[in-house]
Amino acid sequence: MEEISINPADNAVQKPIIEFRGVSKTYKTGTHALEDVNIKINKGEFVFVVGSSGAGKSTFMKLIMREEKANTGKIAVNGFDLTKMPRRQVPMLRRTMGIVFQDFRLIPTMNVFENVAFAMHVVGDSGRHVRVEVSKALSKVGLGDKARSMPSQLSGGEQQRVGLARALVNAPDLIIADEPTGNVDPNMSYEIVSLLTEINKRGTTILMVTHDHNLVRDFQHRVIMLDKGKIVADNVGGDI
Amino acid sequence: MKLSSIKYLTGEGFKNVWVNRLMSVASVGVLVACMVIIGLAILISENANVAIGNLEKQNVVMVYMKDYNWALYGDSQADDEDVSASKEETSDSDEAKPDKNGIYESDYIIHNDEEAQELCDKIAKLPNVESVEYISSEEGLETVKESMLEGQEEYFTFLDDEYGNPMSAAAKVKMKDMELFGETIKQIEKLDGVDVIQSQSDLADTIAAIKKGITVAGVWIIAILIIISLVIVSNTIRVTMYNRKLEISIMKAVGATDTFIRVPFIIEGVLIGIISAAIAEVLLYFCYRVATETIVTTLGMSDIVKYSEMALPLFGIFVCIGVLAGAIGSFIIIGKYLKHEGSEFSAL
Repeated sequence: MEEISINPADNAVQKPIIEFRGVSKTYKTGTHALEDVNIKINKGEFVFVVGSSGAGKSTFMKLIMREEKANTGKIAVNGFDLTKMPRRQVPMLRRTMGIVFQDFRLIPTMNVFENVAFAMHVVGDSGRHVRVEVSKALSKVGLGDKARSMPSQLSGGEQQRVGLARALVNAPDLIIADEPTGNVDPNMSYEIVSLLTEINKRGTTILMVTHDHNLVRDFQHRVIMLDKGKIVADNVGGDI
Repeated sequence: MKLSSIKYLTGEGFKNVWVNRLMSVASVGVLVACMVIIGLAILISENANVAIGNLEKQNVVMVYMKDYNWALYGDSQADDEDVSASKEETSDSDEAKPDKNGIYESDYIIHNDEEAQELCDKIAKLPNVESVEYISSEEGLETVKESMLEGQEEYFTFLDDEYGNPMSAAAKVKMKDMELFGETIKQIEKLDGVDVIQSQSDLADTIAAIKKGITVAGVWIIAILIIISLVIVSNTIRVTMYNRKLEISIMKAVGATDTFIRVPFIIEGVLIGIISAAIAEVLLYFCYRVATETIVTTLGMSDIVKYSEMALPLFGIFVCIGVLAGAIGSFIIIGKYLKHEGSEFSAL
């Protein structure tokens, strides 16, 4: 397992999992979402992305997931050159990452087990392998005993943990969490970030968008701050 | 695609039909209606063809020949000048004499059964002629006598006894295609030895027009109903797809390919098509049975196409319509969705 670096100064010697070089993104509406962004995120890092509304956080994440294309500059994620990537290869990129949504995105007609297994079926896994891996993922997030529960029977925090298990089950190198604590109470927020930190300690890179400054301060991870489409700070949490 | 994925996606397609059962039932209902109408159009067209075929069989053309009886009784005035010229030539060279009725051999063209049969063979060789039956003057007279009402035969017996048989030898001609009726008549008229042709040209024209009308109407009805079927299935798939927006967004987020996302919807569409085809087949069977029983008992028609003869082709047509409507409808709708709205999974 690679050693985790939380010091941006060490980045030069690490292999970046995400790299932005001179990236700008302007939407058709004329909105300049990102302007000349240069950043490297190394394998095994835990990074908070912060910024006010309209700062460019969503665009930053969308560019990483290749939901949007940059107008200028180069983006590389997990060895994929996103600027040259054809549309048909996008699913392959996304299979290397797990995504956690603010609104959980659980399928209400499926139970917890099925919601997590769904992510494996989509990539062509089946049978015993699915059962084993889903059970492991649920155990990791502390929901081993809730496999048969329906999403409606779970609390917000538990639902988000199911979302996290789903993101984890395909063993991705990178987890992108888009305000995962946005819909849960403060105690549960700490629990979720603690869980993400645990996962990060096992080597998975975590990129988490948040508005919660307390979390940023308390967890002391690298923080990238965006404002008006530019990176205005890139430091360890307490310094923001 | 892995076998496990195919199994999973097929299961999902079946599940979709059940989960969206209200829309599925609505689609099946409309599709069944369309298929039953298409089936009825096909059955009506098939029955019309059988009826027309029967009419065509009855629509024979009588080709009368320029034989001795034609020279004796027939309307040979128009040919008189030619005949008298040849008569003079013949009389000079062969010293031919007229018979007891004053008829020269050169007054007529068909002199015996062999020559009549030769003319029949020439007619039979024409491209649109299906069959030719030679009817001698004696047979012709018998037929006419048979068709007379009781007591009227004596009139012909009198003629037969006094002057001989007034009927000319004839060829009973059946044609293959009634649409080429006029053209074939012209070809027969050109043959040497042909006097007049008796035909029901109006009936031939009517038959050809009915046949054409049924074909054109049938094609239009089927084309319109296929389009309706396509639109109905597309709408069901569209509703299913919007109901499953969440699932699609998750699928895209975890790296599902467009094909993987498409397949369950296509299976759902195809399944709706197959279910509709099966129901339409059963429903049409009962509708047709009731209709034919009524027609047989009230109109006394017996030449009706049996459903058992048409059951398999009709089911094939229904399945094809259902499967194609389902597959094409789903493919287009989900394709459009994935290209536009479906590409954004993070901002659902």
